[in-house]
Amino acid sequence: MLILSRKIGESIVIDGRIHVTVMRVEGETVKLGIAAPTEVPVHRKEVYEEIQRSNQQALTKQSTPLPRLAGALPKLKPAGAGEPKLVPALKK
Amino acid sequence: MKCAEMIETETPVIARRDAVRMPNGLLGFEQIKDYTLVTNPGEAPFAWLQVEDNSALAFVVIDPFVAAPDYQPDIPQADVEFLKLNHADDALLLGIVTILDGQPPTVNLKGPIVINRHTHTGKQVIIANAAAYSLKHPLPLAGAAD
Repeated sequence: MLILSRKIGESIVIDGRIHVTVMRVEGETVKLGIAAPTEVPVHRKEVYEEIQRSNQQALTKQSTPLPRLAGALPKLKPAGAGEPKLVPALKK
Repeated sequence: MKCAEMIETETPVIARRDAVRMPNGLLGFEQIKDYTLVTNPGEAPFAWLQVEDNSALAFVVIDPFVAAPDYQPDIPQADVEFLKLNHADDALLLGIVTILDGQPPTVNLKGPIVINRHTHTGKQVIIANAAAYSLKHPLPLAGAAD
């Protein structure tokens, strides 16, 4: 593992296109700013691993019997019942 | 009367099949990029996201807004740009369902699959407000209340 020392406001550049900047240090918490192209997924490792594990548990055979759900659920609509918000809360 | 009812119930239902391309794969399955979304009216509210190879593997998916009527996912700007979504209507969301023996089925509301309806390009998105939702949101089983 490469270990570098950085001061607040200093950055490292990965592959010429991913910039990681130390924004703030508060006690044991380091705030990092990450600028990367949109095709580069960036995740907190624990959320990433949690979802990875969940996906691995969910992968199944196409012949798996489906559970019967309690009555009130409507059908999967091609148009979707609700609408996601596209702009993150952070941007407001 | 009876005859008409039988014809009604025996109307064949045809599963709808849509190719879905996920350039980044799913988390933990980055190498699997091609899927077919199979929606069979007889299996509602579930649908299948089948792996497009000969593995016979699939994910069971559900409309997350059906599974959790109060669901309000915030899709990060980077994902909006990646999927070229111009409007909320452009996005089809699927929640991945986990079915394990002896346990009630659950749906992942932190990391839904978001598909652009026009391009059929999809991505598993970790929503900006993931902390507000469960990775294992329970689905109500028939008969569970008895």
